[in-house]
Amino acid sequence: MDEETIKRFEQILKAREFYVVGKKVARVDALDAVLGRPMYTTDLLTSKALYVRAVRSPHPHALIRSIDSSATRSVRGVVDVITHREIPGVNDAGSLTSDRPLLAVDRVRHYGEAVALVVGEDEVSVDEGIAAFRVEYEPLPAVFDPVEALKPDAPRIQEQGNLINHVKIRKGNVEEGFSASDVVIRNEYRTPFMDGVPMEIEVAYAYPEPDGTITCIASMQNPFDVYNKVTKVLGLPPEKVRVIQAATGGGFGPKSDESPIDVAAYAALAAYRNRRPALATFTREEAMAVQTKRHSFRIVNETGATSDGRLLAWRSTLYLTNGPYYSKGHLVIQRATFHCTGPYEVPNVWADGYAVLTNNTLAGSTRGFGAPEAHFAAEVQMDVLAEKLGMDPLELRMKNMLRPGSLTATSQRIDDDGLVRCVEAAARLSRWTERRREHEQFNRANGRYRRGIGIALLYHGNTLGPEGEDYAVVHLSVDERGKVKLQTGLTEYGTGALTSLAILVAEALGIDVRDVELLRPDTRAVRNPGPTVASRTTVIGGRAALDAAAKLRAILDPIAAELLGCRQDELVYRDGKVMVAGDPNRSISFRELVRRAIGMGLELKVEGFYKAPDTKWDKETGQGAPYNQYTFGALVSEVEVDLLTGAVRVLRMTAVYDVGKAINPLGLKALIEGGSIMGLGHALTEEFLLSDGVPVTLGFQGYSIPTSVESPFEIVQEVVESEGKIGALGAKAMGEIPVVLPMASIANAVAHAIGYHIKETPLKPSRILEALEELGIAYRP
Amino acid sequence: MARRAAVRTVQRRARGPVPQAKVPIRVKINGVEYSHEVEPRLLLVHYIRDVVGLTGTHIGCDTSNCGACTVLMKGTWGNEWRAVKSCTLYAVQADGAEIITIEGLAKNGELHPLQKAFWEHHALQCGYCTPGMILAALGFLKLNPNPTREEIRKGISGNLCRCTGYVNIVKAIEAAAKEIREKGSWI
Ligand code: FES
Ligand code: FES
Repeated sequence: MDEETIKRFEQILKAREFYVVGKKVARVDALDAVLGRPMYTTDLLTSKALYVRAVRSPHPHALIRSIDSSATRSVRGVVDVITHREIPGVNDAGSLTSDRPLLAVDRVRHYGEAVALVVGEDEVSVDEGIAAFRVEYEPLPAVFDPVEALKPDAPRIQEQGNLINHVKIRKGNVEEGFSASDVVIRNEYRTPFMDGVPMEIEVAYAYPEPDGTITCIASMQNPFDVYNKVTKVLGLPPEKVRVIQAATGGGFGPKSDESPIDVAAYAALAAYRNRRPALATFTREEAMAVQTKRHSFRIVNETGATSDGRLLAWRSTLYLTNGPYYSKGHLVIQRATFHCTGPYEVPNVWADGYAVLTNNTLAGSTRGFGAPEAHFAAEVQMDVLAEKLGMDPLELRMKNMLRPGSLTATSQRIDDDGLVRCVEAAARLSRWTERRREHEQFNRANGRYRRGIGIALLYHGNTLGPEGEDYAVVHLSVDERGKVKLQTGLTEYGTGALTSLAILVAEALGIDVRDVELLRPDTRAVRNPGPTVASRTTVIGGRAALDAAAKLRAILDPIAAELLGCRQDELVYRDGKVMVAGDPNRSISFRELVRRAIGMGLELKVEGFYKAPDTKWDKETGQGAPYNQYTFGALVSEVEVDLLTGAVRVLRMTAVYDVGKAINPLGLKALIEGGSIMGLGHALTEEFLLSDGVPVTLGFQGYSIPTSVESPFEIVQEVVESEGKIGALGAKAMGEIPVVLPMASIANAVAHAIGYHIKETPLKPSRILEALEELGIAYRP
Repeated sequence: MARRAAVRTVQRRARGPVPQAKVPIRVKINGVEYSHEVEPRLLLVHYIRDVVGLTGTHIGCDTSNCGACTVLMKGTWGNEWRAVKSCTLYAVQADGAEIITIEGLAKNGELHPLQKAFWEHHALQCGYCTPGMILAALGFLKLNPNPTREEIRKGISGNLCRCTGYVNIVKAIEAAAKEIREKGSWI
């Protein structure tokens, strides 16, 4: 099917009133979950499986002097020990860059790095085998701070040096901008490592098929990344490996990186070598130690403006602290740097983003991909500037925000008014001016509590852009009952994105969403659709789903037209029927039409494809259009700070996002709520601490995510639809977006309450108390 | 890491010679009587999942923090149903008890009000916390059939959900509470 036809098809869809899109539709796959039906990996074990677990390094950086597994081998129940020597294929488990061995060879570069695998009949014997395993290490000098790691005499973590990416923005003349400024401020912002903490821990189950194929069922976002590496590790021909995604209990980024490859390879190796099914899982502590973390950031922002609040110059220096292996760090720094000014037009920008290897544990993708950190630094900076200028923070923002015709930091021209509409709606819904006054009034009482309101604005370059090839594949087939089966290697892990694909297909074929069945992602049944990351599924995958539906229509239309005696362009697919426009009595049911087509020997099986245009920008100046479209948003938070304990309570959040087109409104609303609360955790409690590379906040006792009592009682929401250029029916990326703003918005609300901007997250009680003491406003009963 | 594993193993094996003598237990789960011989150190959650084969009860941690493993139980501490985290008990402690898991809630092809409400209010995303959350909610509603939203939030605060932000979960529990009150039967 040619571009033209597909375009026309989309136009037809857009021109008419939607029947399914934008309506309230329950999640296609939620029923199994409320019934507790077997769906997750460990529910699907078919027979008694061997158990696999890794022997892990207690050192952040060390040479491996010797390995002695003899005691382990004599433990009752232990059946196999696997070191790098026993890997039949290539010892490579890096998700994008082949710099990370599955099992350490002669050196470990982070705490928890896997050195060997112990395979046993059950968990207890494996644990005992691990305890008996002897590794002699020679600790090496290690480095944990990114600035230290860039010094010439710093320990080299990998051959090529510790700097893995330097991203630049050079726009206008920043020196001139600063000299023309009436006010210049400079601040340093810090955010810690954080953990995505999907509720289901990494797990994989592998078994040998009679023909020698190794099948692996696992919890993950990207079955093809896992498939590629497992195939490589096993050294098997591609057709001898099969990877199926089981229902996956949360992703949030870590499950698109390294750890899903690891568990799958552990299970596959054990199954392959022992010719028996094998299960690999982590404990929660182990998962938190080795899952890729949200990177720790250190950002210095220097901003110049005129006395009436026009931004003239912006200089950012960003340090991203990576683990010892690339994972996605080199890409995360790119997104953070491209978004360093926040959604404001600044004529002169100079930015340097550095991604630096250290001996901390692994870091990689986490929901937001560098955007939450960049927005925190930019949006608190805007508030500090407003204070300095004696302006209302909202007014300063409105003066500088991206409007149609504005140029971003990379000089990309913005052509929609999404941000303007979001800000206006957020100001109205939150009753910004009144509330601000009310809170200030409340604070004058000088009691134990202080209240504040804060705002932050967002722009988010959509989908992969500079981060990879932005394409998707969706397969559709129809059976005699008129049921449409949708299968893709794009995965569901909670966002409801596959329900959005089902909605789009139902819309295009005029059928009920319940007649679209989602089949499990299976590398044997589908083509590689690219990764399920970067909030791509609805936007890019949706286009592929529409393409597939259009291809089905191309098969069905001639038959329907012939049967109904009309032209093809007169056909309307609606309510499970195909009818002639303007003459609904001339119709045939979708099911009957399908039956006829199948009866004619036609195969109703198609493959939809979409690839977003490549994006272009200059590596030396960062100038260009790195993204195809932008999502916009505004988040207002209101907080109450306890001056006695330093505790912050979020009273209310008002969230407005420009979603382009709301395909699945119920799912979207839920996604915004969930993301807002995850972001609240980032703002207030979450910090993954390491002491010289050794994690100290493992498990839920050490690392606290929001519970039902910490969450605010009210999240007011509105969506704005300012159509995007590339997304399905104009949809914009939303999966990650709700976690981007809470850190900044809550920090600004706290600052409004206590009169001081804390520039490091989380805003935990001890940090707040410290500020209160310094300000002399701590409450003493 | 090795040290942690060692500690776990020592804890598990400290109590007796290996292999440990198995202990007979009888438990009624979702109305069905089960009797098995189990290792004294077998956790109740593993018993339910691996021995009985009811995999709707999930595991999300090894430290009793997440609540993914929550079931309803009666007969261990008296004759009242209460929600318990099944990873905090050994299977042998459930000897003689009655248990309800997520699989036992729907009756005659009809969803329990909580299941229905979770589905209709979009109270789940990845679904992993859902069975535990539903049973924790049911245990709570048994104690407090007409709660305020704030009380619901307190009532389920021992169960973690990373996806939803709890907003729709609270709404779903509120709606189910109403239906349960109207029906006059909580199970
Ligand atoms: S499994 Fe986490 S509390 Fe039981
Ligand atoms: S729905 Fe994913 S953890 Fe609750």
